[in-house]
Amino acid sequence: MSLKIMFLDELKGFYRSRVMLALWVGMPLLALLIHTFQPKLQGGMTLTLFATFVVSSISGTLASIMLSVGIIHEKSRGVYSLFLVRPVKKNSILFGKFLAVFSCIVVAGIITILISLLYDHLKGNPINQALLREAGKSLLTGFSTMAISSAAGVLIGTLAPSVLVGVILVLYGGNQLSVLGLLPTMLKLPYPWVFSLGFGVVVTTVLLFLAAFLFNRKQF
Amino acid sequence: MTGTRDVAVFEGVSKSYNSFLALDNISFSIKEGEIFGFIGPNGAGKTTTMKILVGLLSDFSGDLTVGGLKLPESRVELNRWLGYMPQMVAFQEWRTVDHALTTFGRLSGLNKATLASRIPRVLELVGLEKVRGKKIIHLSGGMTQKLGLAQALLHQPKLVVLDEPLSGLDPGSRMQVKSVLKDLRTGGASVFFSSHILSDVQDIADRIGIISGGEMLKLGTLDELKSHFSVKDDQEIILSHNAGNWKELETAPGVRGIELAGENRLLLHLFPEADSDATINEVIKRLIEKGNTIRSFTPLAPSLDELYLKYVGGREAR
Repeated sequence: MSLKIMFLDELKGFYRSRVMLALWVGMPLLALLIHTFQPKLQGGMTLTLFATFVVSSISGTLASIMLSVGIIHEKSRGVYSLFLVRPVKKNSILFGKFLAVFSCIVVAGIITILISLLYDHLKGNPINQALLREAGKSLLTGFSTMAISSAAGVLIGTLAPSVLVGVILVLYGGNQLSVLGLLPTMLKLPYPWVFSLGFGVVVTTVLLFLAAFLFNRKQF
Repeated sequence: MTGTRDVAVFEGVSKSYNSFLALDNISFSIKEGEIFGFIGPNGAGKTTTMKILVGLLSDFSGDLTVGGLKLPESRVELNRWLGYMPQMVAFQEWRTVDHALTTFGRLSGLNKATLASRIPRVLELVGLEKVRGKKIIHLSGGMTQKLGLAQALLHQPKLVVLDEPLSGLDPGSRMQVKSVLKDLRTGGASVFFSSHILSDVQDIADRIGIISGGEMLKLGTLDELKSHFSVKDDQEIILSHNAGNWKELETAPGVRGIELAGENRLLLHLFPEADSDATINEVIKRLIEKGNTIRSFTPLAPSLDELYLKYVGGREAR
């Protein structure tokens, strides 16, 4: 019950602080702008394929920074004591945040792809099954890396003593950790996106439970 | 009304932060329906005691039972009927007053219908009903402090733990908060609060605990704390007519000295070993004989400030 309340509460927070707006409008806009004004970067790709690349490359970093900075900031200000004097499990705070950020990022990714498809369609680029399949696979691999990055953000947020250290750790480690989600593709395994999803679930679960273990030991 | 049942019992509780001993084997209880004032210098262990009581600190030694359940094991169940306001109340920046109370109420197990009636009630209690829709970052420090109290009272807890609830409040707000605490007592809840404003503690606390250096130095009602000091040594005499010849009283048996402390106010100092009743009778007799008229004659009781200094003053800050 407390996890559901914490999750919905975080979503409400993102809505009220306009984080949702920034993500859901910002991400497709960014993909569109780079695609339009940096033709060398897109290498003749349709916006849809280019957007899947943008989503998987920046959303993980965004998620891990959002989570780590948020947790460190709230931890240092003593925000959690008001939650923890209620019948709330410490895990629920972390898991609620993870789920809220991850779902926001996933929705931002889906919106970006849908807008890109629409854009390509209006531009007269053919939207065929092959393109949709490619975009879908890339997006699923992207979700896997986003989940790993988000979980890494939670872990770093739990461990880091200051926002600055947290951001440095995200850029040094958290970001690199998310590459694990791309390993099946790099290793050229059959059905890499399936392996990638499975791998993402396992690594994310391990990181989250490690963060929860450490968070449970913390005294507030 | 103060009951005899203990709602919280500390038995030999100690807590260290690395090598620093913050609490040293403290034992005391909080009774049902009482206001327990907790005083002591900065770093004495007040906040640590409170955090242990509400389950925020779990790695301590000794026994702590709240409502018959052991802490830290039963933290989640106990928090249903505990209310806590930390020393530094902090909320997430995006929250409005209403939203914060809704979330904390839901987390405390209140349903929508109960919340709909409780939120306006607690806001009215602390005088924040007009800022219900405002963002918390736009509230003043005192208002945020009062919101901290509101969230602690929202779910009608049986034990309310407040870490310096009166600091940073203007005199009117302090009166208001003190009245809220008294009402809680009337309703049967127990209040455990700390403060550096000793006159406030003296005003509302049924019992007072003095902590210093992690040790509970003294605990009792104000009268019990006072009784540890001899209050019969000094007397205040108010004259309605001062004949001006009171200096001669110094020769009365048992009198150590007498001084004028105001136009018609005399301070009479007795020898500690003197028979105070006999000496006071003799002084009254002589004053009247010499043409003075007495309005009042009162033993000078030490204030909580003086008691505090007496108990804590000699101890080194850690």
